Amino acid sequence: MDHATILVVDDDREIANAIEKLLTFEGYKVIKAYNGLEALDALVTNDVQLILLDIMMPKLDGLSTTLKIREKKNIPIIILSAKSEDSDKILGLSMGADDYVTKPFNPQELVARVKSQLRRYMYLGDMRSSNNSSLLVVGGLSLNRETKEFKVDGVPVKLTPTEFKIMELLMSNPGIVFSAEKIYERVWQEEAHSVENTVMVHIRRIREKIEINPKEPKYLKVVWGIGYKIEKC
Amino acid sequence: MDTRLKNVSRRKSTKVLAFILTVIIITTGVLLIQYLAFTGREFESLFLEEYKDSSHFYHNHILPARNRVIYLIQNKEQVTTTPDDLNYYYYVSDGETVSTNAADENIEFFEQFGKGNNSPEIEDWTYGEYTDGNYLYHYEREGQFSLVLAFPDEYMAAEQEKWENTRESLMPFVIIIGTLLILALGLIIFLTFVTGRKQDDDELHMWRIDKIYTEILVIAFGTLFALWLAIGIDLFGYNMEVQLFNSNTGTTNQLGLSQIYSLILYGLVTVVMITLMGILFLSMVRKIKAKKFMKHSLIYTIYFKIKDFLKSFFDGRRFEKFPLTKALFYRQMAFIIVSGILVAMTFLFIFLPPFMIIPPLIEIAVIYWYVKYNNRTYEEINKGFDESLQEQMKSERMKVELITNVSHDLKTPLTSIISYIDLLSKEELSETARDYVNILSEKSYRLKSIVSDLFDLAKSTSGDINLDLEKLDLKKLIEQTLGDMADEIDTSGLQIRTRLPEGPVYIKSDGKRLYRVFQNLIDNALKYSLKGTRVYIELEEVNGKAITVIKNIAGYEMDFTAEEILQRFSRGDKSRTTEGSGLGLSIAESFTKVCGGEFVVDIDGDLFKVIIKFDIMK
Repeated sequence: MDHATILVVDDDREIANAIEKLLTFEGYKVIKAYNGLEALDALVTNDVQLILLDIMMPKLDGLSTTLKIREKKNIPIIILSAKSEDSDKILGLSMGADDYVTKPFNPQELVARVKSQLRRYMYLGDMRSSNNSSLLVVGGLSLNRETKEFKVDGVPVKLTPTEFKIMELLMSNPGIVFSAEKIYERVWQEEAHSVENTVMVHIRRIREKIEINPKEPKYLKVVWGIGYKIEKC
Repeated sequence: MDTRLKNVSRRKSTKVLAFILTVIIITTGVLLIQYLAFTGREFESLFLEEYKDSSHFYHNHILPARNRVIYLIQNKEQVTTTPDDLNYYYYVSDGETVSTNAADENIEFFEQFGKGNNSPEIEDWTYGEYTDGNYLYHYEREGQFSLVLAFPDEYMAAEQEKWENTRESLMPFVIIIGTLLILALGLIIFLTFVTGRKQDDDELHMWRIDKIYTEILVIAFGTLFALWLAIGIDLFGYNMEVQLFNSNTGTTNQLGLSQIYSLILYGLVTVVMITLMGILFLSMVRKIKAKKFMKHSLIYTIYFKIKDFLKSFFDGRRFEKFPLTKALFYRQMAFIIVSGILVAMTFLFIFLPPFMIIPPLIEIAVIYWYVKYNNRTYEEINKGFDESLQEQMKSERMKVELITNVSHDLKTPLTSIISYIDLLSKEELSETARDYVNILSEKSYRLKSIVSDLFDLAKSTSGDINLDLEKLDLKKLIEQTLGDMADEIDTSGLQIRTRLPEGPVYIKSDGKRLYRVFQNLIDNALKYSLKGTRVYIELEEVNGKAITVIKNIAGYEMDFTAEEILQRFSRGDKSRTTEGSGLGLSIAESFTKVCGGEFVVDIDGDLFKVIIKFDIMK
């Protein structure tokens, strides 16, 4: 993992250089490309484990490049783009990208996301192959009902019993929205009365533990005015 | 071949020649007729075969014979003997006395003669009984006085022969005149076709004379024609009289000097008149060809001017310089006033029934114009409205494009700045340099949040924003937001007091954006409140509206109005801090509006109040 090769694709050479430095510090090998076509060429000649891809590039844009790469490889792709609309993010992810980071990004957050994607990519096989009925897997999250173990991209995370129960409820129904009352009744096993704040505070705690950027959560999402859900991945 | 013919026929010289020829032919024709009149030819012989039926016979034989007989009878005392050289027989009877030159003084004598056809009434003599004789005229007076005239067959046969001779001598003239007439007609038709045309093109060329109004042309032509005809007829009559005098005096058919002069004079008059008439006629022809005959008339012009004047009140010309709404108002007033005048005129014309129809007819035209041009104006307004809407949409689109581009152009260098500052912070740096790098890092993140806020605000105010509207519980959203911000609330040292309804308050909105609204508002309240005071958040349902009020006591003097605080980028000077973009309240307002809510800021002394209203979903 420490020797993973990362392909950085951005038409802005300074940004590509900065990312190269950043990732080299973390011990990765970095290859640079300045447009989609170069990126496709680099993939042929190199063994790459992860791609950081800009969208607005000359010759071949990031979205088309993603589609081309996905025809052959399933290596993680993180899109880096100045386009910050929700619709852009949804489009990028639906084209086959694994993560979407908006420019300007926090370098430490980017590194964290890179690590997370690599871990997932490396250990995904293990998690899936265990085929254990007591194991809940959503994206990079895995929850073991028996051992009460919770892992994010293969890294164990300590959750309190209440937090674990909330995650168990949400992860066994990914994509489904639960209201605070429902969560409270199922987790606390008590009648819910003015519990919004209690549940919200727990959700926020969990986010701080499992999300790379709690302000832009990837898994645990608030559906404002309705409830909470785990994003289906 | 066709073009050559066209070239020749349209040449000016051809046309002039044709015109002159026409004038000459017509003049020759009328002069011939006049000449024949001079020579005393009986034109009647052309139409009447039998001399006995002609008016010539009646005037020259019957009338003199009758007069003579009457004279004889009335002057019986003086005239005792009947002249023997009479070429007719007569028989007059007053019932008792009979006067006759017939052999046996017997009425039966006349039965050998045929009956006369042409027996007009003569003064106090009425046509009466007759016998079956060929040349017999039988007159009766007052039922008791009867006259019978008879011409012998030999005499009549001789006259008939003379009659036929006259006809034969006239025949060549008739043929000549007929030929001339056909020729003239042909030339006129030719001129009618070629007038106004030129060799080089197919355009219709108008003359200067064509500018004269049609009526004047027609009247001038008519006057000239009447004058010419009158002169002709007058001369003709005069000629006949001269001829009669000549024949009476036994003079030959030779023309006298005065007659020759009068013929020359008449010929000149005819040439001038025919030339003038020809010019006028061709002018009318050109006008007809140009379809201007009716339009370019005085009456039509006056009619058109009046119509145009009336029309200009309704089709927008008269009130052009006024603003549209004013012009429409004036048009309406004009319609009412004109209609009123027309109604009044209808009543006035009650005394002149034929004119009563005029005002309603004008009124119909006025209504037609009023409706038609109003409709057109409305259509134009509609069109202009659509265009301006399109224009607005286009400019909005361009604005969004600009925002997108600028945002991209800002974000890209900012990415480099942030990345390199991060790399810089990993280098071995002196204490001072590290402080500087920290400041750079902090400011670059602030710049990032400003750019992001600016982009959000610009997108939402331009209207190009994808909303995810769904039914949500506003109460829950406020509680979630408060839970989400629990840490900030705790560290602020302020207390939040909420007064929310028991049950859910459902509204239709975009949850994410509404969360930003409340996040920004609570954030502002935490930032700018006086230490130790409370922030109040209230939600209630009033008349189908969900009304949320957030109020706090400002920690500084708010020397600005509610409008000023909502102005983008503006913040009370004293409140300027280093954190935030200053766009929080503007974003809150803009997002509330795009989500379909109302956003009101109320400043009352130190009390700062934001009121948000949404329609409650049933």
